[in-house]
Amino acid sequence: MSFLRRIAREPLTHFLLIGALLFGGLTVARSLRRPVVRLEAQDLNQLASYWEIQMQRPPNKAELAGIIRDRIDEELLAREALRLGLDKDDMIIRRRLAQKMSFATEDTAQVTAPSEADLRAYYARTADRYAAPARVAFQQVFFSGDRPHGGAEKAAAQALHRAEEGGRADPTGDPFLFPLAYDDVSLQDLLRDYGSAFVKELETAPIGTWQGPVLSPYGWHIVKVTARRAPPSTAFESVRDQVRDAWLADRRAEANAAFLRDLRKRYRVVVAGVPDD
Amino acid sequence: MSLTLALVAIAAAGAAMSASQAPAKAPAAKPAAAAPAAKAAPGAHLPGYNPDRNAYFGDLHVHTGLSFDAYIFNVRATPDDAYAFAKGGAIGHAAGFSIRNSGGPLDFTAVTDHSEYMGAMREANDPKNPLNKLPIVQGLFSPDPRKIGEAFTKMVQGYEKGTLPKGFSAPDVAGRAWTEVQQAAARHNDPGRFTTFVAYEYTSAPQGRNLHRNVIFRTTKVPQLPYTALVSNDPETLWKTMDAWRAKGIDVLSISHNANGSDGLMYEPTRRDGSPMDRAYAELRNRNEPLTEITQIKGTSEVHPSLAPNDEWANFEIMERYIGSNRPVTHFHGSYVREALKDGILMREKVGFNPFKMGFIGSSDTHNAAPGSVEERNYFSKVGRSDGTPVQRGSTPPGGARTWPADTPDSAHAATPYQAWGASGLAGVWAEENSRESIFAALRRKETFATSGPRIRLRFFASYDYPDDLAHRTNLVKEAYAKGVPMGGDLKAPTQGKGTGKAPKFLIWGVRDPNSGYLQRAQVVKGWVENGVAKEQVFDVACSDKLALNTTTWRCPDNHATVDLTTCEPERFKGDVELRTLWTDPTFKPTQRAFYYLRVLENPSCRWSTWDAIRNGTPPNPTLAKTIMERAWSSPIWYEPKA
Repeated sequence: MSFLRRIAREPLTHFLLIGALLFGGLTVARSLRRPVVRLEAQDLNQLASYWEIQMQRPPNKAELAGIIRDRIDEELLAREALRLGLDKDDMIIRRRLAQKMSFATEDTAQVTAPSEADLRAYYARTADRYAAPARVAFQQVFFSGDRPHGGAEKAAAQALHRAEEGGRADPTGDPFLFPLAYDDVSLQDLLRDYGSAFVKELETAPIGTWQGPVLSPYGWHIVKVTARRAPPSTAFESVRDQVRDAWLADRRAEANAAFLRDLRKRYRVVVAGVPDD
Repeated sequence: MSLTLALVAIAAAGAAMSASQAPAKAPAAKPAAAAPAAKAAPGAHLPGYNPDRNAYFGDLHVHTGLSFDAYIFNVRATPDDAYAFAKGGAIGHAAGFSIRNSGGPLDFTAVTDHSEYMGAMREANDPKNPLNKLPIVQGLFSPDPRKIGEAFTKMVQGYEKGTLPKGFSAPDVAGRAWTEVQQAAARHNDPGRFTTFVAYEYTSAPQGRNLHRNVIFRTTKVPQLPYTALVSNDPETLWKTMDAWRAKGIDVLSISHNANGSDGLMYEPTRRDGSPMDRAYAELRNRNEPLTEITQIKGTSEVHPSLAPNDEWANFEIMERYIGSNRPVTHFHGSYVREALKDGILMREKVGFNPFKMGFIGSSDTHNAAPGSVEERNYFSKVGRSDGTPVQRGSTPPGGARTWPADTPDSAHAATPYQAWGASGLAGVWAEENSRESIFAALRRKETFATSGPRIRLRFFASYDYPDDLAHRTNLVKEAYAKGVPMGGDLKAPTQGKGTGKAPKFLIWGVRDPNSGYLQRAQVVKGWVENGVAKEQVFDVACSDKLALNTTTWRCPDNHATVDLTTCEPERFKGDVELRTLWTDPTFKPTQRAFYYLRVLENPSCRWSTWDAIRNGTPPNPTLAKTIMERAWSSPIWYEPKA
């Protein structure tokens, strides 16, 4: 009795007992804390319906078991990879996260509607964006790039020379699928269809005389500009919606940049050992 | 007699009758019915007006976030965005980058959102909208590409089975979207510079077999709501509805597309309900549907290699799957346009009518609201976040690898169809000026052509009376119109006297796109009926590089043009700026029904998948073609012997 009592009073006994309790408690707690991979019935239904969509029939029992096992395996591997930190230093995962974050934050800043004065001031600064392209009227003679041995440039130069000599008849060249005379065409359309060298010539050529030869993607041309109209200025009223869209786009870009600036303030950035501030 | 030949039959706006006129003299063809109240004084023309007609390029197949599938692909762009893009602007892609065409603005565009559930997804994604609470809506709008695929399939299957909620097609939902479509078209239509059309897609697909049509309205006068495939998926009911609209002054035409995904249904030999075709059916079909979209991103429907063993260029951007699912197509007959043209003239011979008399256009079918986005070097495919990256569309190895696994699946086995899609589909029209009236009239008379993306310009005329030096005259187009018929037209058999028995001459003219390659060869594809059988032959008719055409085999010698696959630089000094000739059909028999269309091929150039690979610094997908030959197709000219 007294022996037992003595043992019970013994500090070593207390130590062992408390230790055992702690060990048992922790084991229970740990097992309770064991992470759970949970698949709900609705997840199962969804997995089965995906399978059905692909295979055009419902899965049988064995296939269903396989689908569930695959899904659980995927989850286990992903969780274990996270636990081991395999997501660190992975370019693809980093990009995906950055992309998700930028989607989540993009355009969330509240942009207040611009006032009339804001828009007019903004328009005054950016009016050239809304200018209609200049227009020209011209005639042309074409010499096909398919002529052998640079023959087109030579023929164009000769035709131009004859025209300068004061030939009465208009010069002639090769058939051309585009119009040989334009009454009223925008330089923008010509840029698309003939390229920049051609448009430059039409922008600067003196009016009323044959000029060239000028190269296009099709061959050589001589051209006679007969009229040129400067770009008409566009009234603010007619482009108000575009100005407003541009103003808002500017503000949103600013807000997104500001978000990144603020974000950067919350970090210290060191590049190759050198603080980058 | 030559006067008869000089006349061009122009189908008067949908009426069964046709009006004739000489285009060189009075080119502003105004359809008799449904002419709009002309504001401009008669004779007043827009800038750029050309009596010999200009080539205008456009896209008549464009989806925005109003289409249920595009919205599920995370596309939030609006019809306004689509028109801004068409005019050369930049817009955002669903995957977060900015997109823009490098080839400059288009001349015309129609936004053609799916009429089925139009606008419903956007409304369903609004938490304040009751549609948002429907069970099917949960998880429908994920940004995860895998979930997108699942949501898309769920919607397509629900559509097929008719199990989707009624609320998705409620008239007020569709009405709001349809109003937005009309308002955007009105805002961006700018006569003389840029033309828009109010339009939509009729999305019929019995058992998943594609019978889709785009429906294009001539003016702002349109029905209150589109006629959808939810009412009936039999296209004949659409055409009858179009007739009824036209009777109310609403002029309209339809353009079929993706015959390649119809598994033989697009050009089946009977009516959809299985009953035999008759003359009234053929007239109904031709009156309402003058055109087909012969090429688009989801493949080219001109011809399948198995149907044309003697056409060495038939294997071009072929897609052998259903539309919207991975099921393989097994019926090629009935799924390709050349075969249908042959069936058509054969039926004309045997039963007296031709239900398959169509001209050609190409268009993109972009679901990114990006009209004309069919440039090989600037390609981002067409279904938003589902194929926005090279890995997703199979052009760079998965998982960031630097090489391709040995078991890389080919297009028949790949999990998604995107690698077999092509950067293809642009519409060309010959019209006097850039206006709705002028371009619509060109569509109606089939004076149209299709390209695989480049802005290749094609002229194609036929006549018995062209002078032999026509191709070298500077006013050749004026003469070609005055004495012959342009693409899309009918070459009538000569009447008694002069010209009887003479073979027709064809004026052929192709000019390169300055932003694309040089031209390698021009070809005439002829189909004809001989002893009750439809036959075909591909004739090379003009060769580049001064190469001599072999008129026994009707083939040009190879010009040996190559491409550097490490840079996509084409070999220099190969190919021509233009191919131009006058060709006489050496096999012409006055008694044989025939059709002829022009096909012009560029030198080989890099396919989009090779461009993707070069940018990524990895080898091109070994299962895909590394190069393609870009091309353009004219609408056919039909020859009809005397009765």
